Amino acid sequence: MKYLFLAPLAMTVVLLQVAAAPYFPLMDVTANPLLVLLTCWAMVRGPRETMVLIPLTAVFKDLITNDPVGVSVLALLPIVPLAGIRERHLTQSEFVPTVVVVMVASLCYHLAYMVVLTTLGEDVPWLESPLRVLLPAALLDAVLTPLFYIPLRWATTLTESQARLRVVG
Amino acid sequence: MRTLVWVLAAAFLALITIALSQKGALDPLRNLALTVVSPLERGVRNAAEPVADVLDRVAERRNLENETQQLRQQIEELRAEIAGLHEQQAQAQGLEDLLKVQEGRPEDRFLVARVIAQDPSNLKERIAIDRGRDDGMAEGMVVLSAGNSLVGVVSSVLADFSWVTLITDPNSSVNAMVMESRTQGVVSGTLHDGLRMELLPQETQVQVGSTVATSGLGGNYPDALLIGEVVSVQGSPQDIFQKAEVKPAANLPRLENVLVLTSFQPARLDNAP
Repeated sequence: MKYLFLAPLAMTVVLLQVAAAPYFPLMDVTANPLLVLLTCWAMVRGPRETMVLIPLTAVFKDLITNDPVGVSVLALLPIVPLAGIRERHLTQSEFVPTVVVVMVASLCYHLAYMVVLTTLGEDVPWLESPLRVLLPAALLDAVLTPLFYIPLRWATTLTESQARLRVVG
Repeated sequence: MRTLVWVLAAAFLALITIALSQKGALDPLRNLALTVVSPLERGVRNAAEPVADVLDRVAERRNLENETQQLRQQIEELRAEIAGLHEQQAQAQGLEDLLKVQEGRPEDRFLVARVIAQDPSNLKERIAIDRGRDDGMAEGMVVLSAGNSLVGVVSSVLADFSWVTLITDPNSSVNAMVMESRTQGVVSGTLHDGLRMELLPQETQVQVGSTVATSGLGGNYPDALLIGEVVSVQGSPQDIFQKAEVKPAANLPRLENVLVLTSFQPARLDNAP
């Protein structure tokens, strides 16, 4: 039932990424709101729901862009194992690990994407990419993190406390 | 363990869909998805564009004063040039009439298309247009801006939509010529840096501000299609070739409508099985 709500939300983020993000480049790169949303989701609510959302949203994104269908699934998959860091409780706050995971996931995303494009015979500028794409994109995605993390954290805390009240009641 | 199994299964399925996608088996699904999503996408683009324009204007405000000064000077110079060109045009017209060149020259035919999406990837420069195979589109067709400068080439065609690889895409290369010096070279896309013209012989003089257009060599593009303007020239005397940075004439990040040149058959199409 909850996926009836989650899926359209994630699809809307895909649409914003495809239609609006290219208008707002920073440091010559475009942000990846879908990656940031899915990473925040996995870090705040655990990777289980993300495991459903990744194939759903990534395939949708590939269908409406020029990417081979499936490449975004591969590129977003590292989010799931990376979110395992959540269980280790390295810091008191979840926010700092989330920003770190977003940056690492962004690097993994572009590396996986570049590997697939190279395999498919596309000309990928490997030498220029680390400084021109990978690092700026990771930084930009990290900057976007609070936009998704804060509402998600708030909504999750709210639903968890409501559930607790119901149990007590 | 469960997570690992899921990751492996998802990766395996993704590889299968990539293979299917490369074979074109998912093209009908892509066409359907674009048909459903393109009106929404257009709405989002229409909403995002004015906001982006405002942000751009704020960022560019500092440069505007200098630019205005330069533009005033350019207008003055261009007016003087126009006066000279009128005279040359009259002479050329006379010659053309005499030779009746135009009688044997068929007019170009175009298909107007609307840009419906941009590829959001940071590694490719591609746009989607609302014309597809059903409109007579084919891979390799040349795409121009509303101002008649080169935009790119159709790289994949669906039933109702097509993807166009822009000239700034790292995979794009166009045989080109610096019009003033008639120097030939190859214009390629670079990662976020616009265009680079390479293989310019060292002994030729390429000036900043020179016009770059297609040379027509190779038969993939018609000749004399405007590409852009030289903004810098690089190369030491030891180099065999010079390089030049070229600013595209078309406003590629903000294209709304484009023209697909349907009357020109690129060499790629002629060689197609």
